[in-house]
Amino acid sequence: MDASFLLTQFISGLTMATLLFLVASGLTLIFGVGNVFNFAHGSFYMLGAYFGYQFVSVWSTNFWIALLLSGVCVGLFGMLAEFAFLRRIYGRANEGGFQILLTYAFILIIDDLVKLTWGAEYKSLPRPAGFGGAIQLGDIFIPTYNLLIIAIGMIVVVAAWWVLSHTRPGQVARAAAVDREIVSVLGVNVPMTMTLVFGIATALGGMAGALAAPLRTVTPGAGIEVIIDSLIVVVLGGMGNFWGAWFGALLIGEVNAFAVAVVPQWATLFSFLVMVVVLIFKPEGLFAARKVRKV
Amino acid sequence: MKKNLCVCLAIVLGVLCALPMAVQAQEKVIRIGAMYPMTGRAGLYGIDSVAAAEMAVDEINGKGGANGYKIDITFTDSKAKPAYAVRVATRYITEDQVHFLFGIVSSGVGLAVTEISKQQKKIFIGTDHASTQLTSDKLQPYYFRVANNTFQSMAAGALYLQELQKSKPWKTIAYIGPDYAYGHDQWNELRFSLDRLGVKYQVVGEYWPKLFEPDYNSYVTSLVKDNPDILVTGFWGGDTVAFIKQAQVYGLFKKSLYFQPDAGGNYELMSAMGAELPAGLVLGARHYNNWPDTELNRKFVADFHKRTGRYPTYAAEGAYAGVYAIAEAVKIVGNPDDTEALVKALEGLKIKLPEDPDGFTSYIDPATHQIMQVQAIGVTMPNTDFPPAKMMLGDWKIYKAEDIAPPPGYPNK
Amino acid sequence: MTNLATRNLKAASLWAFIVLIFVLVPVLSTSSYQVNLACHVLIWSLFAVSFNMLWGVTGMLSLGQALYYGLGAYSVGLMVDHLGRQWYLPAMGLGVLAAAALALLLGLLVIRVGGVYFTMLTLAFAQLGWQITFKWYDFTGGDDGIQGIIPPGILESGTVYYYFVLAVVMLSIWVLKRMAFSPFGLVLRCVQQNPDRVRFLGRRVRRNQLRVYVISSLFSALAGSLMAGVDGSIHTDMLFWTTSGEVILMSVLGGINQFFGPFVGATVIILIEDLVGARTEYWSLIIGIIIMVIVLVFPKGVVGEAMRAKSLLTRTGAGR
Repeated sequence: MDASFLLTQFISGLTMATLLFLVASGLTLIFGVGNVFNFAHGSFYMLGAYFGYQFVSVWSTNFWIALLLSGVCVGLFGMLAEFAFLRRIYGRANEGGFQILLTYAFILIIDDLVKLTWGAEYKSLPRPAGFGGAIQLGDIFIPTYNLLIIAIGMIVVVAAWWVLSHTRPGQVARAAAVDREIVSVLGVNVPMTMTLVFGIATALGGMAGALAAPLRTVTPGAGIEVIIDSLIVVVLGGMGNFWGAWFGALLIGEVNAFAVAVVPQWATLFSFLVMVVVLIFKPEGLFAARKVRKV
Repeated sequence: MKKNLCVCLAIVLGVLCALPMAVQAQEKVIRIGAMYPMTGRAGLYGIDSVAAAEMAVDEINGKGGANGYKIDITFTDSKAKPAYAVRVATRYITEDQVHFLFGIVSSGVGLAVTEISKQQKKIFIGTDHASTQLTSDKLQPYYFRVANNTFQSMAAGALYLQELQKSKPWKTIAYIGPDYAYGHDQWNELRFSLDRLGVKYQVVGEYWPKLFEPDYNSYVTSLVKDNPDILVTGFWGGDTVAFIKQAQVYGLFKKSLYFQPDAGGNYELMSAMGAELPAGLVLGARHYNNWPDTELNRKFVADFHKRTGRYPTYAAEGAYAGVYAIAEAVKIVGNPDDTEALVKALEGLKIKLPEDPDGFTSYIDPATHQIMQVQAIGVTMPNTDFPPAKMMLGDWKIYKAEDIAPPPGYPNK
Repeated sequence: MTNLATRNLKAASLWAFIVLIFVLVPVLSTSSYQVNLACHVLIWSLFAVSFNMLWGVTGMLSLGQALYYGLGAYSVGLMVDHLGRQWYLPAMGLGVLAAAALALLLGLLVIRVGGVYFTMLTLAFAQLGWQITFKWYDFTGGDDGIQGIIPPGILESGTVYYYFVLAVVMLSIWVLKRMAFSPFGLVLRCVQQNPDRVRFLGRRVRRNQLRVYVISSLFSALAGSLMAGVDGSIHTDMLFWTTSGEVILMSVLGGINQFFGPFVGATVIILIEDLVGARTEYWSLIIGIIIMVIVLVFPKGVVGEAMRAKSLLTRTGAGR
């Protein structure tokens, strides 16, 4: 195994990790701020892919505008879901189970709505102009679109960090995560903040869907596959921890890439194995967002 | 406490009353209970199958039915869940009193349903699931299949590769397919057939991504390193699309011949990828919209398009064939009630189908209950006759039904 | 004292009545499908009731009970497949024991954390179990599942097997109910409501949590092992996370704070699934909307809402 192959494999892993992170970041954000585990996050990802298809392939919108519009549309959809439904179960006894059921209902409903709107055929959309090829360095091929995804992932990480730590809405969101009541006493409209955070998080998921669509298949059921992987990433990194999700995604992406190269027979087991090993030693994840309630 | 129990009782009583009482003393009807997935990844196959089966039923009933019997077909979404499908099959048999169980896309579900068919002695016509087991070691007297199994596709693939070796000597081969029974079966069967033909080859890589894996980048870069002459894949549906899109930019198809004899040639791939689909991929499927160029096939494809506004995937022709096989068997026996006579009639039944080229008629092998058909393998090339596809298959190689059947006793030898 | 005695008598007679109804199912039914459906209802009820011991009673939301349900089913399936039908009943026992042992081991790992972390950890281990079962084709049959699991001797008959299921389920639910209303059950309720006070009273929170985790898992495995014989086939779906989700749905629908809630929930869900599935291709939309309505409008579940309605009625009737 020579150096150039290792590098190629590393970049493959990085592409996978970035897309994983873009989906998982929204998931972990909702959990960190709102304490909601959104099982339907994968369905918002799928919706984003379908919006991307609709804008680019049907309405011939410019890819970059379509990417933004898909994020915005999915975000609005997410805000509606939070505002009309999820909000009603906050603070209920045994809330966790109700969250699982409600977000599971979202999965079922979105799946059928997608089928009713776009049909069951597989859709695909082309890579944007200028990103259809690959850069060749010796015997290493690096697809330009993969590089683009990695770059966008970096931008999202930095931007999210800046928003969360340097802007007032970010600080409010972080404060609300720690103690909702105090923040609300201080005159902040907490329910509105929650809706907004949910919107941003689902918009991230939707954008990830549209960004991934040129590489993957746009099909009903596409959300189910990403939700389990994102869940692993979020749990691994410590639920609610933004950086944890980034690190978790990187770990899963790279472990997977090298497992494929070394032991392809068992590659599919590795992400689970990593998670189980981590959880045995650190049950609250690698970077727990806060002290875990011991009950 | 008391109220809890009251509610329990009320509900249990409700159950008993609400269940539809099965009173069906209708005359001259063939009842078929069909199960297809209509949601999720395989939903397209189910929806196409339903449309084609309904088309066949309308055609047959329009001509006065089979021996005076009209066909009444019911569809239920199997949800691709074996336990649920078994419940539906049981309902079909005991409540609706169907004469035939019908359909099923996933082999896992097919295996569960064939168990019920065996226990209840009710004929089960499989139309799309491809696991060879169902017509070999798991065969039971009431099961019949009217579509190719994976062995037949892979045996045709092996013949193709053998011929290819003469014109373009190849040595190395690699495989990538989903990590479940369907993926593993194809690879085992291809190697079995290659070995049987005495083809010399060297395996340089075997990869098993999970079913519905969205991200193939690391598999592709590993395959580029392995640099096989022939790259065999065992995907179906959306996974094929995702793999081809991701592998293409790495130049993988320039170095290796892409070869997917079982599900690669399915029209869904051409319709999804349009102009993005590379030329020169070698693909096979169980039915093609542009081969054979017979009147029956042209009519089937055109009628389907008229009915649904799109062109069919191969699942459609399987369902269409299944309905016709039932009608033919009932014609021979005279009624749909004598199950044992129907089994006899189906064994060896000859039936002309859209996928039969001129001079050949499909028939059901009495020993394995598997339909025997000609198999074609083609190469992708530009063709805009079936929009939204921009590429279709051409440059066909044709294999005779007898040459691609599993040897007697397979796989226990 | 007399009051208590009458209450016990009433409860016992209602018990007898409910059992009687289920006893009569094979006699009254018009097709073996109804018996099959009743069988599914009974088994899912046991699964849901044992799950609710964990969630409704103790407040531990596990999203991984499918692991034990599948373990029970696969013990029976694998032993019958490899060793023969006479191993059916021993395999059920072994499956239950194996589940208890696994629950003890995993329990030590997962109860270290509370709340959503517990939920995610149970989910993670269950998905690992599913992935292994799915992947280990040579041993478990992978996604092909295992077919031809026929119970031995007289149990082969559908009706006899139904009565066998009925007896096992009723006995298990009776045991669970005794447990839920015993001093142990009271401790569990306290663990949910106020763990610190439990500690002050000298009871160990963790130990009780572990106990109930093992008990719940053991009965889930029993339910799974019973399911193996109903259709004669089992499948990896039994271990998938949606199976764990299904029992949450059943518990919520019936009412999580009522012991018999999950029983009612299981009955209703299985009927809804069948009725909706048989009528429309868009079952997913309809069932999604039904779940939404249940969660948002009837959070107390069928039994809970019925109790509330009843108490409102009696209050207005007896009162001013």
